Amino acid sequence: MRTIKLPDSIELPTILDPWDQQEPSGPDATGIYDFYKNLAKGELTTTKCKDCGKMNFPPGIICPNCLSDNLEWVRIPETGELYAFSVMALGVPMIIDTYAPFVVAIARFGEYPDDGVQISGIIFDSKYEELKIGDKVKWEVVEIQGPGEKKRYWYCFRKI
Amino acid sequence: MRNVAIVAAGITKFGVREASWKDLVQEAGKAVFDDCPNLDKKEVDSLFVGASQPERWVYQTHVAPLVAELLGIDARRVISRTEVACASGQAAIRYAWLSIATGLSDVALVLGVEKMTTKFMNLSQTCMVNVGNREFDGPNGFTAPPFFAMVAQRHMLNYGTTKEQLAMIRVKNAKYGSLNPYAQFQKEVTVEKVLGSRMISPPLTLLDCSAMTDGAAAVILVSEERAKDLTDTPVWVLGGVQSVLHSHTVNQMGELSEWLGLRRAAQEFYSLTKLEPEKIDFAEVHDCFTISEIIEYEELGFCKKGEGGKFIEEGQSYIGGKIAVNPGGGLLSNGHPLGATGVRQAWEVVMQFRGEVPKERYVGGAKIAITHNLSGMAQLHHIMGYSIEKPKEVRFGR
Ligand SMILES: [Zn+2]
Repeated sequence: MRTIKLPDSIELPTILDPWDQQEPSGPDATGIYDFYKNLAKGELTTTKCKDCGKMNFPPGIICPNCLSDNLEWVRIPETGELYAFSVMALGVPMIIDTYAPFVVAIARFGEYPDDGVQISGIIFDSKYEELKIGDKVKWEVVEIQGPGEKKRYWYCFRKI
Repeated sequence: MRNVAIVAAGITKFGVREASWKDLVQEAGKAVFDDCPNLDKKEVDSLFVGASQPERWVYQTHVAPLVAELLGIDARRVISRTEVACASGQAAIRYAWLSIATGLSDVALVLGVEKMTTKFMNLSQTCMVNVGNREFDGPNGFTAPPFFAMVAQRHMLNYGTTKEQLAMIRVKNAKYGSLNPYAQFQKEVTVEKVLGSRMISPPLTLLDCSAMTDGAAAVILVSEERAKDLTDTPVWVLGGVQSVLHSHTVNQMGELSEWLGLRRAAQEFYSLTKLEPEKIDFAEVHDCFTISEIIEYEELGFCKKGEGGKFIEEGQSYIGGKIAVNPGGGLLSNGHPLGATGVRQAWEVVMQFRGEVPKERYVGGAKIAITHNLSGMAQLHHIMGYSIEKPKEVRFGR
């Protein structure tokens, strides 16, 4: 009988890596690479439309409100307000589950909805019981190390 | 334009099944054809498959022709697979209705299926992050339980809804689920048991949440002319609507306790069908979490905005109350195999209208029913209406 020998282990690409789209060029390039570039510089930014004035999130290469491509990158105001929060403990997506349980929240920054955003984020340094709706929070940039030498950036919230 | 009726319905047992995706398709397919002995399956000219993530859970795509093969169907008019996450099944029914009403199809099989439990449950659960914006909300661990927990938190803040009222939704749906032999969970529960079950995402406990489930359901829709030869108990389609308000990422959701997408869907639905909430005898709604059903009472107009908690507390959504909601046990009891859920709701409508359900969960004398599905983080809403009496006119909208 013919046998087919498989390798001892099969390495799969990290298809579930939630930060896998942050490339300036190549097959994983994104038109909003500046979002990630700015994060690496410590800035949480998004695109704002120069024609209709709407601040959009997520950033894009056009404004979904008026379809203009006349956009500018703006810094999201650093302090905002806690809008809602809960805990992520079970059924946490892989990779992210390495730091569960954690508080997951929604906070508003700036003048939402026209000139501000309502975004999700993790709060690492507070327990659920220590938080209440309306608490002042700020965003801060997180460095994600690995796999290997790779360094990427994301953001989280912190109660002020 | 012509009237459309459901003439057959079939279902599999829902739950953690020792069955493959293909087994589930064949099981539900056989059940639906067994339910309609006068139909030769060669007459099926269209096939609509509701399936949310077969690519991720069973690594299979191009599933509509696969279903055709598994059931030996030579469809030639419309062969399609619909994907709108949790509402994939109802979307499939809606497109089948439209296709027959407009004359493109005559006999359509709609089959909804999902295989969600696998050897790698952490991988299966990770797939659920993709119904939200994977790039922007995904890295924050944003899946359904914490999202609907925040919806509950906002509803409690704005309207004074209580954890006990949330629990009462599960108590009602578990009561009816205990009378449904196809449901994943068939045990009655108490408010205390719900409140005391394991905390998942506060304020939601394990029993406030529906489960990841394997299951399939199927219905056959036909034109008015074909219906009379096939069954004495056709279930007539009154119409269906869908609504989304440019919303997928958290930033677009505004105030979480207000489901404007559903509010607009309900307006469209009542204007399309000329129905009013008071005329609906029972509703199968999308109770993916207990809080969802409370908000659905409000946005569907069963009660005033903010009074959904009071509505369940007064028992208004039990059989015999103002409107029976989820007499089949809902998603909370049946489990929620994404692509199958909307079709399972239609199956329940057929069984209720025929009186083929246990007496204790039978909505006697019911003439009009609706089904509602939301998908993802409540971004998109579907509503369909069914009647035991043939509609006098066929309506699509304005
Ligand atoms: Zn614009």
